[in-house]
Amino acid sequence: MTNGGTATAAGATAAAAPVSVRDLTVAYDEKPVLWDADLDIPAGSLAAIIGPNGAGKSTLIKAILGLVPAAAGTVRLFGEPYERVRKSVGYVPQRGSVDWDFPTSVLDVVMMGMYGRLGWVRRPGKSERERARECLREVGMENFAARQISQLSGGQQQRVFLARALAQEARMYFMDEPFAGVDATTERAIIGILQRLRDDGKTVLVVHHDLQTAPEYFDWVVLLNVRIMASGPMEATFTPDNLQRTYGGKIAFLK
Amino acid sequence: MNVLRDLFLDYTLRNIALGAAVLGLVSGVLGSFAVLRRQGLMGDALSHAALPGICLAYLLTGSKAPLVLMLGAAAAGWLGMVLILRIVRHTRIDPNSALGIVLTVFFGFGVVLLTVLQKRNDAGQAGLDKFLFGQAAAMTQEQVATMAVLGGAALLVVALLYKEFKLLAFDPEFARSLALPTRSLDLLLTSLLVVAVVIGLNTVGVVLMSAMLVAPGAAARQWTDSLSKMLALAGAFGAASGIAGAVLSVTAERIPTGPVIILCVTLIVIVSLLFGSARGLVWEWLRQARHRREMRAAMAAEGGTTP
Amino acid sequence: MMTIRRSALPRLLILLLILLLTLLLAPLLAGCPAGTPPDGPGSTARAGGGKVRVATTTGMIADIVRNVGGDRVDVTALMGPGTDPHYYKATAGDIQTLTGADVIFYNGLELEGRMTETFEKLAATGRKTVAVAGGVPTEKLRQPREFQGRYDPHVWFDAKLWQHPVRAVAKTLSEMDPASATLYERNAAEYLAELEKLDAYARTQIAKLPEAQRILITAHDAFGYFGRAYGIEVRGLQGTSTTAEAGARDVQDLAKLIAGRKVKAIFVESSVPPGTIEAVQKAVQARGWDVKIGGQLFSDAMGAAGTPEGTYVGMFRHNVDTIVGALK
Repeated sequence: MTNGGTATAAGATAAAAPVSVRDLTVAYDEKPVLWDADLDIPAGSLAAIIGPNGAGKSTLIKAILGLVPAAAGTVRLFGEPYERVRKSVGYVPQRGSVDWDFPTSVLDVVMMGMYGRLGWVRRPGKSERERARECLREVGMENFAARQISQLSGGQQQRVFLARALAQEARMYFMDEPFAGVDATTERAIIGILQRLRDDGKTVLVVHHDLQTAPEYFDWVVLLNVRIMASGPMEATFTPDNLQRTYGGKIAFLK
Repeated sequence: MNVLRDLFLDYTLRNIALGAAVLGLVSGVLGSFAVLRRQGLMGDALSHAALPGICLAYLLTGSKAPLVLMLGAAAAGWLGMVLILRIVRHTRIDPNSALGIVLTVFFGFGVVLLTVLQKRNDAGQAGLDKFLFGQAAAMTQEQVATMAVLGGAALLVVALLYKEFKLLAFDPEFARSLALPTRSLDLLLTSLLVVAVVIGLNTVGVVLMSAMLVAPGAAARQWTDSLSKMLALAGAFGAASGIAGAVLSVTAERIPTGPVIILCVTLIVIVSLLFGSARGLVWEWLRQARHRREMRAAMAAEGGTTP
Repeated sequence: MMTIRRSALPRLLILLLILLLTLLLAPLLAGCPAGTPPDGPGSTARAGGGKVRVATTTGMIADIVRNVGGDRVDVTALMGPGTDPHYYKATAGDIQTLTGADVIFYNGLELEGRMTETFEKLAATGRKTVAVAGGVPTEKLRQPREFQGRYDPHVWFDAKLWQHPVRAVAKTLSEMDPASATLYERNAAEYLAELEKLDAYARTQIAKLPEAQRILITAHDAFGYFGRAYGIEVRGLQGTSTTAEAGARDVQDLAKLIAGRKVKAIFVESSVPPGTIEAVQKAVQARGWDVKIGGQLFSDAMGAAGTPEGTYVGMFRHNVDTIVGALK
């Protein structure tokens, strides 16, 4: 399932970069939410998308995945349009986007990650169930397989979503605020998994809300406020100057 | 006991009960999806939207054959559905308002057509307004067969695309990220709802149809946390209500079958809300009472040992 | 370079436009206001030459007025062929017709169940509003047991009883238009004679039926007076008013009766949907007796204008012939 330790050559050339975005623009009711975005993410990065509320962070991910219509621009994942490489892409939506009262079990939700590979009509079988249990084990939720999802806490729900994404066995993952409203233990567990993914050569792109933990968790940062303000390796890009430009006002630093 | 024997031997009761059972089963299963997707009102909108279709079908063909009218109902219901989905997608009008708009406009149009038809010096238009409340007593074996075929086809589609519909109902965004054609699936699922509505129109009528779609699923949810069990239970509740309604309506003269079926399913909903094993209010209340007792006992004990 | 994608909004607009057009065109397609025949519903034109403008509810009453009034009246019937008077609600156009009329004749006895308020309001404004069935002496009216003290309004099925409304119309018209009183009296007398002939015809024809087949089964209890006057048992599936839905038990009971007594034929009505009678037929056939649908009877409305069945006498004869033909 996983590759060797170092970043593979698969994403070495710019043409086959995991994420390559040009001129991406999204507007709701003539108001631009994302404007003229150009972005390149190198392979094997654990990247954070950072910006103030309403800056278009979720929109960026959704536009890349084709979940919201873009008014203009192109997106290439591994050099191809999204439709052709969707089997290589995993997605963890915001927790609040779903009705957790839906009658289904934790295991069932994780198996949904494999629907793409199963194709039409085919039902998940024993091997899919096994794989789903493995993913639950990775996130520390194997004992919750039969639990009804309405009985889960916020952190547990997030882990289930993560397990579902892991079940997709992707080369690249997009996550929308996976740390929002989650307890400290879960947060540590999740970042551990993300770092393991990165070490395995996967590319992970995360909408992150917490400026304090960003430099510690991620090695690449995208600063976004409707326009891409800056994008690059964490050290070089996460500067007071860039942050000032992105957030517009004064930000207190604890550094 | 006579009634039980009649259920099998008597043409009228047998067919009404069978037809109502098919209706209950299909609307229970398909309506459950509507309930889970918070689209309970969709069934109401679709059944009201069918009225102008029935009138236009008669206007254009001059025939009152059930099949013709059903096709008209289906076409209008389908058009209404497409309109609702488009309005939601392209304007800022929220789903419930869109449903309300389409429901009233179509239904109003249908009533206008009924009145206009009434005015025509045409001896053949009588009875189109019976679709408002249904005519269960007029059930024939042929009608039951048609309902069974259509309903069976709809249930087959649900069985085949079960996991796709489940994902669509639970997390449509994730579904789209898997490149599932969610718009087409949405259209398909709602089209199946149109089929359920068309099957039921002649039995319970436009006004009551929405209850048949929503009630069985709402009741079933109180008993289980598994989707497959919920669908099965909803179908069973719907079918049982159909049969019970048919049987009860032959106990005395002049009892309309459609409303009795609705009464049965309503009874099931109330019992489920109160006593459902998964979420029954009665159990919830007892649990809370027990907790309160335990807390009081714990506090009393603590109070006793605090220095 | 930025390329802007087109929105899908135009498609929605086209859909709405089509809907709007359908909404506007369909009523025209149905032949609404545009080509109404001079005597048909909606004609409120002021008649020249001082004709009496009359509005009636059912076609049967309009037929009386035409026969009695002749050229002196301009009649409009609100309810056309195939219209169910139990269910009928007056439209705005109808109100116009009613208020524009010099005199209004309706059946009464709650036949026009949904228009009672309308008539009360019209009477209150001082307009001449006459319930023609009110002329029938109360002791001659039928009181079906499930109607709880109300009367069966289908009085036109007894040709002799129907003479009372004729006299009522003649009297009213004479009062309103005394100059033509003699004309009205003469026409009325002629029409009454026709009704006598009709009555005799029905009596002799029905008498030709064998005893066992003298049972008339129809969609609703409209023929009570017919049965009483001409010696034939009458059973309807629905009650005296079609607003009540037929119940499953009623279908069962009727099927048992038909199969048990080996009735040859049952009948559908022009103003009631045939579905329930057809279901009864299938139920009877399932019991091993092949009952036929003997034909269509005119119950609460007459046939199409211009046909023989479009007049009261023609419609009455048609009914008698159909019944006798099927049950002989």
